[in-house]
Amino acid sequence: MKRQTIAYSFALPAFIVLGLVVIFPFFYNVVLSLSNMSMRHFWDWKITGLDRYVEVFKEGIFYTTLLKTFAWTFINVFFHVVIGVSLALLLNRPLPGRAIIRTLLVLPWAVPQYITALTWRGMFHFEYGAVNLVLDKVFGVQGVAWLSQPLTTFGACLITNIWLGFPFMMIIALGGLQSIPAELYEAAVVDGASRWQRLWKITIPLLRPVLVPAISLGIIWTFNNFNVIWLVSNGGKPADQVHILVSYVYRAVFNLYRFGYAAALSMVIFGILLLMSVRFIKSTKGTEAVY
Amino acid sequence: MKQKDPLWLTIVIYIVLLIFVAFSVYPVLRVVTISLRPGDQLHSRSLAIIPEDASLSSYKTLFTGTGYLQWMLNSAIVSICVTLLGVGLASTAGYAISRFSFRGRGSAMIALITTQMFPVTMLLLPMFMMLRALHLWNTFGGLIIIYSATALPFCVWTMKGYYDTIPFSLEEAASIDGCSPFNAFRLVVLPLALPALVITALFSFMAAWSEYLVAAVVLNDKRLYTLPLGLKMFQSNFSTEWGLYAAGALIVAVPVMVLFLSLSKWLVGGLTLGSVKG
Amino acid sequence: MHNDRLLLHGFTLEAYAMIRLLLIPLLFLSCGAPGEGDLVVWNNMRPEGRDVLDSLLVAYMEIHPDVTCSQVYYETEELRSNFQIASLGGSGPDLIYGPSDQVGPFSEMKLIAPIEDLLPKDFLNGFVDAGLVWRHGHLYQVSDRVGNHLHLLYNRKIITQPPETTDEMIELAKELTIDEDGDGRIDSYGLAWNFEEPYFFVPFLGGFGGWVMDDEAHPTLNNQETINAFQFMKDLKFTHKILPPESDYDTADALFKEGRTAMIINGPWSWAEYLDMGMDMGLALIPQVSETGKWAVPMVSPQGYSLNVNLEGARRQQTIDLLQYLTSDEAQLAFTRVMKTIPSRVRALQDSLVTKDDMLRISMKQAQVGKPMPVDPELRAIWDALRPNYQSVLNGTKSPEEAAEDAQREAEKMIKAMNQ
Repeated sequence: MKRQTIAYSFALPAFIVLGLVVIFPFFYNVVLSLSNMSMRHFWDWKITGLDRYVEVFKEGIFYTTLLKTFAWTFINVFFHVVIGVSLALLLNRPLPGRAIIRTLLVLPWAVPQYITALTWRGMFHFEYGAVNLVLDKVFGVQGVAWLSQPLTTFGACLITNIWLGFPFMMIIALGGLQSIPAELYEAAVVDGASRWQRLWKITIPLLRPVLVPAISLGIIWTFNNFNVIWLVSNGGKPADQVHILVSYVYRAVFNLYRFGYAAALSMVIFGILLLMSVRFIKSTKGTEAVY
Repeated sequence: MKQKDPLWLTIVIYIVLLIFVAFSVYPVLRVVTISLRPGDQLHSRSLAIIPEDASLSSYKTLFTGTGYLQWMLNSAIVSICVTLLGVGLASTAGYAISRFSFRGRGSAMIALITTQMFPVTMLLLPMFMMLRALHLWNTFGGLIIIYSATALPFCVWTMKGYYDTIPFSLEEAASIDGCSPFNAFRLVVLPLALPALVITALFSFMAAWSEYLVAAVVLNDKRLYTLPLGLKMFQSNFSTEWGLYAAGALIVAVPVMVLFLSLSKWLVGGLTLGSVKG
Repeated sequence: MHNDRLLLHGFTLEAYAMIRLLLIPLLFLSCGAPGEGDLVVWNNMRPEGRDVLDSLLVAYMEIHPDVTCSQVYYETEELRSNFQIASLGGSGPDLIYGPSDQVGPFSEMKLIAPIEDLLPKDFLNGFVDAGLVWRHGHLYQVSDRVGNHLHLLYNRKIITQPPETTDEMIELAKELTIDEDGDGRIDSYGLAWNFEEPYFFVPFLGGFGGWVMDDEAHPTLNNQETINAFQFMKDLKFTHKILPPESDYDTADALFKEGRTAMIINGPWSWAEYLDMGMDMGLALIPQVSETGKWAVPMVSPQGYSLNVNLEGARRQQTIDLLQYLTSDEAQLAFTRVMKTIPSRVRALQDSLVTKDDMLRISMKQAQVGKPMPVDPELRAIWDALRPNYQSVLNGTKSPEEAAEDAQREAEKMIKAMNQ
């Protein structure tokens, strides 16, 4: 029991701050999602029940956008992790100049997203963009009209977001690699383990406690990150096909003033993410210790 | 006794790293180009990094004709406070969750990250109302509290994950030697968790340094503007002052890089467990 | 047991001490709120405009030493959303300055006050009709400029005589769309503009006799005029081949600045930049549509000040006074001097600053053949419905007929949802 009190006193300050900031907004949203708040009912809105939720699920767009959002999320996180961890592994070796390389690799994370996303948009321009020019001059491949078709625009957004996101995973992995005792590797070498086996049997499992929070939160953040999509596609172009769920919330609120609807959609997004996270965490046993 | 890598492997590794460095750096170089180009042009046909008519006028105007230095100071104050708070609160909370199995532990952890699952745009209004009620609107204090709350879930969880990799036997050994639990935490465990502390610090810093939406709702007084708000002032409905914006954006990245550089020796070169055993 | 309790006590004390230390900075940082007495003007003006506004506010404070004023800038979309948030939260600026179309949603949500009874009649009579924004019988916004509409800009180093009809425009553009170095990539265009955005397409819609909505704010997109206008744009791209394959605002802007397009369709917000870089720029009316003989019809809108509905008593009186000051003849001409805006008061329009300026003359002629931008909130739904369908015509995935039908249907759906 005394141990419990120590634990609580340690953990409490953080949770108090969190609770204060998040609980009221959360419940405010729950109430809004059950109401009819909109442009015509801005001050005099009332609780009307689950109507808004029915609206959310009735629109076909919801399901196609949901699929796009899943694709967006998983492709992004996959590449973030693979590239980030690989680079961290490479940088963990004694290579001269690795401090500079490490620092340069962090640039995408450091420079404000707004202008780098727009720079990427410019780089995907069909005629003047650097991407097509490199494809042409270096690989001899014909340029792609990136921003003219939905699928390739989606690809452009993906590439941009991967560029933005891998440094973070790299930093996490670099830190996590420090927690792995060198003797484990030495013992494995003595036992005759190959590089590949050392990677999969030692490194990856021991990186898990540090990677799991990063990946779970990475999934959540990517799911809700519509900034990059909005900027690279210039608002969902072409033809409004390049969207994920959160950009719909944004549009509903700020273009059509459908506050109740947007609140309901936000709650649905929340529910989906909650389900996904709980399953992911349970399956990777992320809440348990490693030793 | 460590195996030495064969030469061909080292060369391949360097090539891979350099490709990624080029990948990382090139778009940033284009931002440099925009900052040097007079006339507020975002795109250009030319691929030259230094434009023909390059000029440093954007940088000059940035420092003399705008509130940029003030914004930088404001952002520094807010970000440093958020970092201190984040590191302080997360290192203790993460420790508790890692070491003590108390009732509600599992759900507390899930609860932590649920705070991230909500699209921020919907939280702005109630946040605004709350801050006004607490007289924290248009203050740094309000902003710092919100940013810390945003950064905490990830930080607590990362610290917890890192603590998990440190065997409890070390604290047991310390307490046998007469250490109080807090000192065991402070003197034995914390130094070993330095890489995670660095990650927490970097993340908290960035959560405040580069955040725009919440700051736009919380801060109204130009003298309190943080960098993202200030940069936004260069933007208008159809036309943005790209030269100023690009210059401002690049300078924004400088403190972040400096911070990363100075902290990275603890990120990668800290005490490893192997050297502490026995 | 006893020891443990002491340990725990000391433990928590130390931990809290450490944390409390970290919280001290917060105590000193709950400062910086501006005085409650400040009259605040939120605006979306460009930097040059903000400078003029600042000088006007300073002058006002000299005349009224017991009053302090300040201005806050937000980008147009944010201006709208932040005003909603601030109002809901019980605060907000005293005056809000922006385009006329914000009057629709703001008046609907009762965020701004009707002011026809608060201003002197002879003050209001001094404005041109387009300078006062009424809705449902109430005055909601008093403007300091009219216009903000699209024009045809051309590079005088390449073209000496701008085209007057669309047929001329197409011929001229064809001549000027050149692949200089023969690498299969066009190097210079005759005409480039942000044609993917419906606002920049509307002038031609009007030129073909169509428009976005009728007097009751119903969308009017599924008619032959819309189809003809869609077809016209499609032909520009695929038949005459004079348009760049991708052209958003920044691309067209860059092309014009680099001298790689002879003509561009853009608005007054961009003139300062072009002129500042020494461009020899000419202004002209967007050409007449050859098929109908009508001039292209850009949307013309005033920009002005609205009053926060929560103001009352002496503060409201003072704010009304400030509003009159900021929209007076002198104030309007101050903006004209710097930004070449068209004043909205009759007397200001007669000032030689306006009458002797060539650019303003052409701009006013363009405004005369233009049409007022609707202030109804339905307009936004119409843009959102028009945009994807129009873009589908441009990239060939929908026929003009389909796109017009779909745009109409989607607009009606969104309007219904908005009006629930």
